[in-house]
Amino acid sequence: MELSQRRSNADYERGIEMAKATEQIQYETDDPNRIQDVGWTFKEVWRRTRGFVVTSVNLIIFFILWEIVTTYGNINSLFLPKASAMFQELWVGMTTRAPEGAVFSGSILDHFLHSFTNLMTGLAIAMAIGIPGGLLMGGNKYVESILSPYVWALASLPRIALVPLFILFLGFTTTMQVTIIVISAVFPIVINAWAGVKTTEKSLLAAAKVFGANRVQLYYKVVLPYTLPFIISGIQQGIGRGLIGVVIAELFGGSNGLGYLIQRSADTFNTAMTFAVLLLLIVMSLSLINFTRWLEAKVAPWRNVNHL
Amino acid sequence: MPISNENIIVADNLTISYDLHRERKKLIALQDINLEIKKGEFVVLVGPSGCGKTSFINAVSGLIPKSGGSVKVRGEEVTAPGPDRAMVFQDYALLPWRTVESNIRLPYELQNLGISEEEKKQRVKNCLELVDLAGFEKSFPYELSGGMKQRVGIARALATNPDILLADEPFAAIDAMTREAMQAEMERIVMETGQTCVFITHSIDEAILLGDRVVVISYRPGKIKEIVNIDFPRPRMNNSEVKISKTYAELRDHIWNLVKDEAMQTTRGE
Ligand SMILES: Nc1ncnc2c1ncn2[C@@H]1O[C@H](COP(=O)(O)OP(=O)(O)OP(=O)(O)O)[C@@H](O)[C@H]1O
Ligand SMILES: [Mg+2]
Repeated sequence: MELSQRRSNADYERGIEMAKATEQIQYETDDPNRIQDVGWTFKEVWRRTRGFVVTSVNLIIFFILWEIVTTYGNINSLFLPKASAMFQELWVGMTTRAPEGAVFSGSILDHFLHSFTNLMTGLAIAMAIGIPGGLLMGGNKYVESILSPYVWALASLPRIALVPLFILFLGFTTTMQVTIIVISAVFPIVINAWAGVKTTEKSLLAAAKVFGANRVQLYYKVVLPYTLPFIISGIQQGIGRGLIGVVIAELFGGSNGLGYLIQRSADTFNTAMTFAVLLLLIVMSLSLINFTRWLEAKVAPWRNVNHL
Repeated sequence: MPISNENIIVADNLTISYDLHRERKKLIALQDINLEIKKGEFVVLVGPSGCGKTSFINAVSGLIPKSGGSVKVRGEEVTAPGPDRAMVFQDYALLPWRTVESNIRLPYELQNLGISEEEKKQRVKNCLELVDLAGFEKSFPYELSGGMKQRVGIARALATNPDILLADEPFAAIDAMTREAMQAEMERIVMETGQTCVFITHSIDEAILLGDRVVVISYRPGKIKEIVNIDFPRPRMNNSEVKISKTYAELRDHIWNLVKDEAMQTTRGE
């Protein structure tokens, strides 16, 4: 029997009628209030603030214990200053600036600004090279096979080993310091962006292709959004590495920056200052890393963090 | 719309194989498939897991290359996906950074379907209601259950109003009640629009209720074992007589035995 005969016109008309009847059926789930307001319960407030509260209390206890131990214990303040002395030094250092024309600045703020500007410049350059580089490596197998040996070689080399070479090339300059930061931060960014492109879920690419994506659309509608959180983790690792780069560059060669200040204050037995600078480095690093975490959660909420 | 006599999809000795690079071997998933699908026809593919059902519709959609033979859509060799063919994916394939609504609108952004913004809005709304997801427009896929994600995938395919709908186990993750409603909707849409549908399922009941023909595929190599014609008048979904008829029981038994023989082979190993 022909198919067209098997499904006759009478069937068809009856079908339309019955189809109309099915449209009348209301599903139970038509209720629009399936999502309920939770409101501000104590539990909800605690859920949002517990991280901050626990950490704050933890830190306050830590610094109080530190103060007690250094005040009543028999500890040489050359090795471990009082917590209060450290905070005092930090406060004064961050609120004063060196006078015009001074040879050496004792102001932490001056050195901080120098280091911070270098770090940001270095990170920006590292991103400008690393993101397109990684995307290209992931997207084109020729670029990948040509570049990957160099990327792996340089990424596996302890970056500190390159410092003497850069000093030789560029002298004790800001350019040298920034170069070291770039070379430290660029590889995690390249490698993450590269991995992001390579691991883009096949079925997502298939879906985009089926619904009409051309090559360009495939990139900016699927590959890029998929890779974005990878790039952000790359930047996050880059910040950590870059900060190491900052301090190393300044410890090795330079006459300003936080690394230099650590060296100088330790040399002049101003341990409170050394500790103040270390604390500032920690705060700076954590702020930047938390910023990227926040950014990651903002742009990629589907990558849920599990609390096991 | 009644089924026409015009072939829309023609597979001619279609062979699909995959390279298993690790073992330096080739896996022949489908071998010498000959199948002619008429415009407006509802064809259901059944067969044990791994027999090559997904491979077949991937070849029709143009997602994977053929290793031999040909697949033609409207007489033209398939080389790439086209706007006339939409697909519901077995693994949903929703973009996780897009909301439900934005996922459904994806096809509109990727290709010019020549429809107005008004029409697009209306279609998205209709499709969301159809799959019973009104109110979840702004939700992200990770906030949905498996069955809900699957329904978004269905809505996305339907919103393009394709000539050919390739549906890969579209109701697999959906509960029995919703599933029945969705089957009825699917039948209604296909009847009203005259869409051609290639539908994969593991449910023999679903195959008989929806299909004009049920194609049973064998396991390794995947060949067409038998094509079973289903002659019940439509619509069948809300017709209680279909399920209690003797023919239904016989068809069910017949297809069940065909699939069972093949499934036994998969569990026994080759
Ligand atoms: N990308 C791939 N690479 C290698 N082998 C593959 C690939 N895709 C599928 N196969 C193989 O081809 C065979 C057929 O796969 P296919 O996905 O078409 O099966 P299926 O009938 O859809 O199964 P299921 O019912 O489980 O979805 C399987 O044996 C599988 O191992
Ligand atoms: Mg499959």
